[in-house]
Amino acid sequence: MAKDCSTLSTWARSEPMQESFEVAASWYDGKSALRHEGSASWDGLDRLSLAAPTSHIAVPLSDLEFGEARSETIIYRRASEPDFRLTLPAAMPPGLSRHLPEKQVYGGWIDRVGLGRAAVGFGLVSIAAVALFMTAPDWLGPRVPESWERNLGQAMIGDFGGRLCSTPDGDAALAKLLDEVDPAQTQVNARVANIDMVNAVALPGAQVLLFDGIIQQAESPEELAGVLAHEVGHVRERHVMTALLRQFGMSVLLAGANTGVGDTVFGLAAMGYTRDAEREADRYARARLAESNISPLGAAGFFERMAEEYGDDGESNAVVGWLASHPAAGERARDFRNAAREGADYPPVLSDAEFDALKTMCADDPDVEEFDFF
Amino acid sequence: MHGKYDGEGEQSAFVFEGTWREFAPIAFTNLLLTIVTLGIYRFWATARERRYLWSKSRFVDEQLEWAGTGKELFFGFLIVLLLFAMPVVLINFVAQALIARGQEILGALLGIAPLLIIFYLTGVARFRGLRYRLSRTRWRGIRGGSDEPGFRYGLSYMWKSIVAWIPLGLLIPWSMTSLWNERWNKMSFGPYQFQSDAEAGSVFARFFVFYLAPFIMFGGAVAMAGMGMLAGYGIGGEDGMALGGAFGVIGMILFFYLGLGLIAVAFYAKFYREVVGATRWKDLNFSFEASTMDWVKLLIGDALLVVFTLGIGLIFLSYRHWKFFITHLEANGEILLDELTQSTTRTARHGEGLLDAFDMGAI
Repeated sequence: MAKDCSTLSTWARSEPMQESFEVAASWYDGKSALRHEGSASWDGLDRLSLAAPTSHIAVPLSDLEFGEARSETIIYRRASEPDFRLTLPAAMPPGLSRHLPEKQVYGGWIDRVGLGRAAVGFGLVSIAAVALFMTAPDWLGPRVPESWERNLGQAMIGDFGGRLCSTPDGDAALAKLLDEVDPAQTQVNARVANIDMVNAVALPGAQVLLFDGIIQQAESPEELAGVLAHEVGHVRERHVMTALLRQFGMSVLLAGANTGVGDTVFGLAAMGYTRDAEREADRYARARLAESNISPLGAAGFFERMAEEYGDDGESNAVVGWLASHPAAGERARDFRNAAREGADYPPVLSDAEFDALKTMCADDPDVEEFDFF
Repeated sequence: MHGKYDGEGEQSAFVFEGTWREFAPIAFTNLLLTIVTLGIYRFWATARERRYLWSKSRFVDEQLEWAGTGKELFFGFLIVLLLFAMPVVLINFVAQALIARGQEILGALLGIAPLLIIFYLTGVARFRGLRYRLSRTRWRGIRGGSDEPGFRYGLSYMWKSIVAWIPLGLLIPWSMTSLWNERWNKMSFGPYQFQSDAEAGSVFARFFVFYLAPFIMFGGAVAMAGMGMLAGYGIGGEDGMALGGAFGVIGMILFFYLGLGLIAVAFYAKFYREVVGATRWKDLNFSFEASTMDWVKLLIGDALLVVFTLGIGLIFLSYRHWKFFITHLEANGEILLDELTQSTTRTARHGEGLLDAFDMGAI
């Protein structure tokens, strides 16, 4: 308080006649709609006295809050009485305006640093946030403990509603195929699902499902080896967790923005990412096929058929699937065809009987459930 | 004028005094800050925008004041995100897991639950949005509000909307007017309740035209296409017939969209004249004077503004709509200022999160 007085007296010395003064003022007490019109006089210290024929009150300057600025007036509120409104002229002597609450335009922080600097600051933070959310899944995904992922996978699909096909011969053939393309000690859990769709998926918790549809259309066991190797690639590169994290991160990031634009950006970003992941899984598949001396021409043939049938586009999907949001099928077919060694004689990966066991696995399983939504 | 307002002889009780030149700096800085904050600033942007629009809207001899803040809108949004969006995501996850396990029916039912919740909350949001706006609007230091939280209104909204659709949608005018009445009868400003007794009968004729229009137009269009074919045949034989038929079809499609849109606008124009006209506050009667033509001009103006500015005009739409609303709003009657005391309704501390989430307007 002593400090306040000393500043005041400095100012008063330069203009001694105006140490205290009066201005026109009007106010509402917040209790009735009656307007009080009169004057506000400042005692030169910490108090504003409002006087009108209808009301006399004293307001401590520290109780005033900035309300809003209008063309020629400023409206103040009172911290102690939220509905009180005081209208003062916008042009005030500097001595008093220094003691009045500061004007706000854009909101607290922005007013303090200025619009330009705030915009640049916010922009940088936003770019950093976007960059973090875009890259975090790539390094965070592989670091999620596999046991968590397994539990999540269990929670998501369980036993797949009894739709997993199983016969002794079919299981043996699938196991043989898996041994060829998944040399790791703890293998993925690969199953055949009784779903009539040409697709295969890698799910959280190292689970790979080949749909019966893709098995039925397969012309050779090498084709299935390629598909299986690709899905194992997704599991080994931890793509599934990365994709889940990415989806989650994007939805958090875009919650701030309105949905319409957000969805589009989200779709595009997710798309670009899956294409890279697909190429990575393809590379993994080619490496495994080469290691196990399996012909990549089977997979190449599959892609050629797909390119013919569906054109070069897939659609996006929440899980990393065989046909979902992939690089163009034609390009992938070429890559697999080029991986074949010139003039090599690849031994068949499965015998005819084994391939047959895979094909009839779902038809021969007596307890398997049909897939339908209702 | 002191202490009493007598509406007779005045030009209009509601006057809008803003200009787009004053609004432009607000709109453009809002746009800038909203972009650099990835959309988070939009709550503060809304508050700034409303502060300007309200302060330029005069009722009789005093401007309105918007007392809402960006912070409370932001918190409203966070609350909706936490209490509503997260559970819906979780329920969807569980529903998918159930379907994957072969519990299709249970999964589907659980999948439908969020839709029902959204249906219910749409009504609640309508109510709370209006309550929020009234409670943040000050005139001569006095505010409005409601003592109801709007949960019961959410139920009314559900059953009235469903009943309206049962006789092939013919009761929609009834559900719209009766929900308007129910909403406004629960609202107050200062010490007095609003009262509304709008009737569906007076808007039903327009609605019926809107309802029958597709059938009439279809018949008309078939006739038109036929006539086009005939005319075409007369001019150019077989080829002329096909061409004439094609022109007829194009005419039909244009007529269908434009015509149906126009009739819908005509219905809404009539609807707002009826419901606002049936709303009273103490000794004050409101009316809304916008004709169908006024609405058409507003909408065409909106479209042209947005198209010719390559989308930037979007930031001026809120200004245009508010100006339209205030300009056409009228009030007649008497206010005794001495008796106009502060509202005793409780004010919600958070903004219109739900309304924002469902992207709806309050009125």
